[in-house]
Amino acid sequence: MPLAGAVVAVIKRLLARAARPKPAASASLQALTAAALLLPGLMPAPVQAAASDEEVSFLYGYYEEGKRNLFGVNSRFDPITVDSLLGSSKIKLSDRLKFAFNYTQDTWSGATPIATAPLSFGGNKESGVLSGATPYLQNNNVLFDRQLNPVRRDALTGDYVKDTQLVHTLSSASPEIRRQGDFKLSYEWDEVTLDAGGGISIENDYESRFGNVGGRWDFNQKLTSLNLGLSYTNSDTQAILDHDATPYIFDVGRGFDTYNSSSDSGQIHKENRNNVLRGNRQDWGTALGLTQVLNETALLEAGIGYTRSTGYMANPYKVVETAFINPEQTGELLSGVSIGLLEKRPNERNQWTENLRYVQYINGLDAALHFDYRFFHDDWGINAHTFQADWVQPVGLGWTVTPKVRYYSQDAADFYTPYMVSNQALSRTAVDASGRPIYVEAGNPDNGNVYFRDNHFNLIDANGAVVNEIAVNPINKTIPFDRKQLPGHYSSDHRLSGFGALSGGLTIGKQFAKGVTFEASAEYYTHAGSMQLGGSGEDAYADYDFYTVNAVLKVDLSALSFAGGDHSGHAGHGGHSHHGGHAPAGVMFDHTMDKAGGLMFGARYMRSTQAGAILQGSNKVSDHTIVQQGCNGEPCFTAPGSMNMNMVMLDLMYAPTDWLTLMLMPQFMDMDMATRTLNGAPSATFAQQSLINHHTLHEHTTSGIGDTGVYAMVKLFDEAGHRVHGTLGISAPTGDVDVKFRDTHRLDAGYQHYGMQLGSGTWDFKPSVTYTGKLDKYGWGAQINGTVRMERNNETGFAFGDIFQSTAWGSYDLLNWLSTSVRGVYTVQGSIRDQYNGTFNKLGPMDYPGSYGGRYWDVGFGINAFVPGGSLQGNSLSFEWLQPVSDDVNGYQLPRDGALSATWSYAF
Amino acid sequence: MKAIQHALLLALCICVSACSPVAPWQRGKLAKPQMALDPYPLQNTFTGHIYGSREAAAGGSAAGGGGCGCY
Repeated sequence: MPLAGAVVAVIKRLLARAARPKPAASASLQALTAAALLLPGLMPAPVQAAASDEEVSFLYGYYEEGKRNLFGVNSRFDPITVDSLLGSSKIKLSDRLKFAFNYTQDTWSGATPIATAPLSFGGNKESGVLSGATPYLQNNNVLFDRQLNPVRRDALTGDYVKDTQLVHTLSSASPEIRRQGDFKLSYEWDEVTLDAGGGISIENDYESRFGNVGGRWDFNQKLTSLNLGLSYTNSDTQAILDHDATPYIFDVGRGFDTYNSSSDSGQIHKENRNNVLRGNRQDWGTALGLTQVLNETALLEAGIGYTRSTGYMANPYKVVETAFINPEQTGELLSGVSIGLLEKRPNERNQWTENLRYVQYINGLDAALHFDYRFFHDDWGINAHTFQADWVQPVGLGWTVTPKVRYYSQDAADFYTPYMVSNQALSRTAVDASGRPIYVEAGNPDNGNVYFRDNHFNLIDANGAVVNEIAVNPINKTIPFDRKQLPGHYSSDHRLSGFGALSGGLTIGKQFAKGVTFEASAEYYTHAGSMQLGGSGEDAYADYDFYTVNAVLKVDLSALSFAGGDHSGHAGHGGHSHHGGHAPAGVMFDHTMDKAGGLMFGARYMRSTQAGAILQGSNKVSDHTIVQQGCNGEPCFTAPGSMNMNMVMLDLMYAPTDWLTLMLMPQFMDMDMATRTLNGAPSATFAQQSLINHHTLHEHTTSGIGDTGVYAMVKLFDEAGHRVHGTLGISAPTGDVDVKFRDTHRLDAGYQHYGMQLGSGTWDFKPSVTYTGKLDKYGWGAQINGTVRMERNNETGFAFGDIFQSTAWGSYDLLNWLSTSVRGVYTVQGSIRDQYNGTFNKLGPMDYPGSYGGRYWDVGFGINAFVPGGSLQGNSLSFEWLQPVSDDVNGYQLPRDGALSATWSYAF
Repeated sequence: MKAIQHALLLALCICVSACSPVAPWQRGKLAKPQMALDPYPLQNTFTGHIYGSREAAAGGSAAGGGGCGCY
């Protein structure tokens, strides 16, 4: 292949140049090696700087909005927060075939605007049931002047005064989770790369499936690259418009379709006992990009993109507050009724983007300036500009500091309106051709029967015959407003308003030896109508700000291969102490590092599920027994039906000396629980029933950062195949223990169940002792460990029980890279001490501290794989299934179905 | 808007035609990590998703997914 020949020639030339004596030879050699790596066939993207071929990275990100200005109303909601977890891995399946997989999980909770209205409408009402404001946009009586300015009555003087001040109405949500998995497979030829990918994003109320294909062509001696991409996304909305929406979406009970049509009619259906809005949306996108090396220190990327979206594109939880004013009124003061209507967006959107990115190397400072500009235009009337500049400044010893500034400005969509005024009555009394009011049956108004009053006020049917008034129970027939008099499309989503946004941030990165990089970043963002280009954006009531922070850990798996073969320490798996054989995936703290300076990076995933008939001790019990005994003598309405927990832990190990290994273990967790109504449950009050429906009609979820462990592992004994080490650890209460349900029926639904909280809330002491042994292909081990709560109770008033666990295992090497394991586990956990100190609605056994903890036996079956050589040397992957053998629970609890553990680790 | 588009196109043409040949051994600076088109890809995925859930101009890229962003 002539190209390959050319590559070899160039490498030889580079090496020859590198071999010449020079000052600072090693630095030049590095630069030249880097340059050599960019050569055709060696690196994938010649006009771009090196991104590693084989890499694993994790990101944790946090987003929090500032409080909205509610003009004197005290909101009881916390602003929205989002916890995000991203994991990304890239590996080479062969020299030319690469595979990338990404996983994303976002969890959000807190309050966001669901509508906008004049302040006088009272959209954030402070009511007696709850302290602080809750959304209230249903059938509010409102006043306007003749020029249709909102009017309020001055509390002091009693006068009616014009008040055009607008305000958002806020509503909050229980925690919701979005999960996304996506992959990309790419194949590289010398000058052309083709890739194909796809993925799925799942939320409770929204699911997206997507696929994409793309290609890159490098030409002009690899100074120029052309990229072409095509993508397709198909998304379904399935939003439950439940009783929680009644305070602000008009007429949830009936007539939804009549009043609330989003983009086509017939979208809202009664399913089970919920009103469900369904919609489908499709997006086709294409993008074309050109990357060009301008000279030795600058490169430029330019691109254009087009996306066509069709279908349901509205936000099912946002309403447009609409005031209906009967035009037949006389006088200067007009009164009306306002309601919240679901927003209505066009079902077609064509979007065009143009972007330009320029990267300039700054000689002397060794820095790079990045400048991006993006122009967006769509046929909803939105033009948007984004400017961003980043200065990437390496500052020595592997540190990099990157300040960033970004400015964004957009026009409002044509159909954006903060609120609407319609010149018609919300509803009027129906009359027949001769002006007689029409009556219908209250119990069945739509059965077609109509009635009238005769001159003696008798109720008569359509034929004039007098009918039994008590049997008919007549009510006036009303005719709702004419939807055709409203605009064709309307939305008051602030994302479609005109505004500008300025943000600035700083990223600090540190590259450690051996290809480990850590980055931490913070950004502050401020949104204001007045910052729109031209300054004609939305008024200041809509201004808000937010900040984000994130941390990234990146491990370059190919760093070792590039480091020149200096990994003799890894030969035979010597980097860390697995001499005792591979411990099963579910065993933590199973090994220490062998040598001072040793580094290990790992990730653990654990999923446990619980489902089935409720146990009392070890026996299944009937609903009747639970109702009678499950709630400490208080009424028992519900029981858990299932519960799942997913946990992702990062494992960072470092050995400062050869007898001590330090370990940091942050974790991220999510849980979901479904509850059911108990047969034979006692009758509930209205408030209790509301809460019961709130629990049983929706699965609830919580997710976020869990507790963080810090451990010191000390080698106690190490001789002739036998090892003992002790671990002393502290678990810091970084997980939340105050996760609440959203309000329902204007009731504070209180804290979620104890077991759904993300951490213990207490500082915990976690000691353990581990023994491992190894002889030929056989390995064995045993461990005892404990968790002791070091505080009486946590900030929300309770403490989980202490835990004691003992386990023993044996393993057998099937091959030099594969082994299997069997183990037994015995666990004891105490019940919860004390109870919640805030609003908490006890509905079932899971809400009582005595129904936590127990004594458990499990058997585990595991498989461990270890990569002994090649570019992925040092990686190991283990799985274990833990099968419950016996449950003896405290109080009344779900039985366990089992737990899956998967661990991946990479030792240096 | 048309003016901006034309200016961009013109800038692009000038750049492409004005670029000097850069031999492979002159590409050391371009290979530095700070010169990557996207030096922080994972972070930018995260912030991009947040911008996308707070601004109207999120669409138009060839990637898919991202969810509803309804919050």
